[in-house]
Amino acid sequence: MLGTDAAYPRGKTAGLYPALPTRSDEAYAEFVEDARNCLLHAQQHPIAEFSRQKMRDSKMSQTSDSESTNAAVEFLMQDPTIKTYYRIKRSLQESFWQCLYNAYDRERETLEAAIEAADDKGPGSVHYDPNFQVPEYATAHIHLQPGGYTGDPLAGYLYDYGLKVFAGGAADNDVLAMMAAGAARPPADGKVARVLDLGASTGATTTALKTTHPDADVCGIDISAPMVRYAHLRAIEQDIDVHFKQMAAEQMEFPDEHFDIMLAVLLFHEVPVAIAKKIIAEAFRVLRPGGTLTVLDFPGDRSNDAYTMFFVDMDAADNGEPFLPDYVRSNIEDLLVEAGFEVQDYNPAMALATGRVAVKPAS
Amino acid sequence: MSDKMNDSDDGLDYVQDLPGFKPNNPTYFDNDVIDHLLGIVLDMGAELWVVKDRLAFLEETLEKSGIDVVETLDKGRPSDALQVQLKEQRVQMIQRVYGRLYGSYGGDNAEQRGAILENLDVADS
Repeated sequence: MLGTDAAYPRGKTAGLYPALPTRSDEAYAEFVEDARNCLLHAQQHPIAEFSRQKMRDSKMSQTSDSESTNAAVEFLMQDPTIKTYYRIKRSLQESFWQCLYNAYDRERETLEAAIEAADDKGPGSVHYDPNFQVPEYATAHIHLQPGGYTGDPLAGYLYDYGLKVFAGGAADNDVLAMMAAGAARPPADGKVARVLDLGASTGATTTALKTTHPDADVCGIDISAPMVRYAHLRAIEQDIDVHFKQMAAEQMEFPDEHFDIMLAVLLFHEVPVAIAKKIIAEAFRVLRPGGTLTVLDFPGDRSNDAYTMFFVDMDAADNGEPFLPDYVRSNIEDLLVEAGFEVQDYNPAMALATGRVAVKPAS
Repeated sequence: MSDKMNDSDDGLDYVQDLPGFKPNNPTYFDNDVIDHLLGIVLDMGAELWVVKDRLAFLEETLEKSGIDVVETLDKGRPSDALQVQLKEQRVQMIQRVYGRLYGSYGGDNAEQRGAILENLDVADS
């Protein structure tokens, strides 16, 4: 195991997150986390009801098409309370990232050294290419994270603590990751030798997959070198034997029919639809017949109304989710079927509310 | 139970309609959010000042007792029991100070819910 005591003099928070350097940083983050819970998450249902009623009262179209959605944006954003919700959301996001970035930036030298020291240590491994050409779409500052997922060596640290706060504590102790790993459906024949975590980011789901399938060879890929390096450090801190590779999911370096299980958690809404189609085609190629791809992500627009698409459009613009609306409208289950998968029923009690289980037909 | 006298017997019904008789939430700007925001800014100033005052007093008290707490305050962490108390007080403060912003639809009394699940669940609401 890696000794990171020097890098994290204040230890860990909520299980696995490196504690912020000072109590003042931590207190600020705690405030943002609770403010988000009270002023954003707790408001989603009542503000949705309020908004839908306003739209009904004004005889607005409730359908999810673009025209109705644009009309909903224009109409609802006239309301002072709805404007307030989005102002608070944006302000909390900006001020939190500033706090987090400043906190880690003060310790940059130490934290980068910790990542460097972990590169050649085990268990498991990490492979990345300093000359890797990151496609432009992957440089977006998703969720407004400073530097995005690929532009800062400390992106993994930033993302990890960011998720803790944005999930309002729900991701603490990797509980969400364990739920996601449990939702990844095994093949019908029960044979699980190789597992792939697509878009692994900080590796929380990858290590959870290894815990769920201890006898399998588990690998996580991500397009970001800072992410896979941090993920490796995070895994060896837990003494979990998993392998991380910097790799574009749309251009995988694995042989055909290599994996039994693949899992993609909140990946597809963070890439353009054209890339999503390529990822699905690649997933089909590297899965063995009977293998499964479980996708945990936002729902499509079929069951949505204009308010939900308003929410999606606002999130896209204000929360750095540029690909979310197109993703939702693409109805990813259709893309999976087009690629040759059989889409099976998904039990939302397993993990996130919306998932799809795609099976590569046995040839 | 009420021991109030009935005003109508004394011809005092009109007092109910006097400006300032009934508690209310007056707004002075065209957009009531601006009213709320100014109230919040003032509240936050008071909250912040209470903390600054208390912290300075605490540091002075400890210094007089020969205890240097700056390092502990920076690098340490409150006890688990105090952190539980602080979380409760923090949530109460957020709700008390900012909840009014959502009073127009009753959001000031909104039930606390999860986060990630909630984001994905909004489509079904």
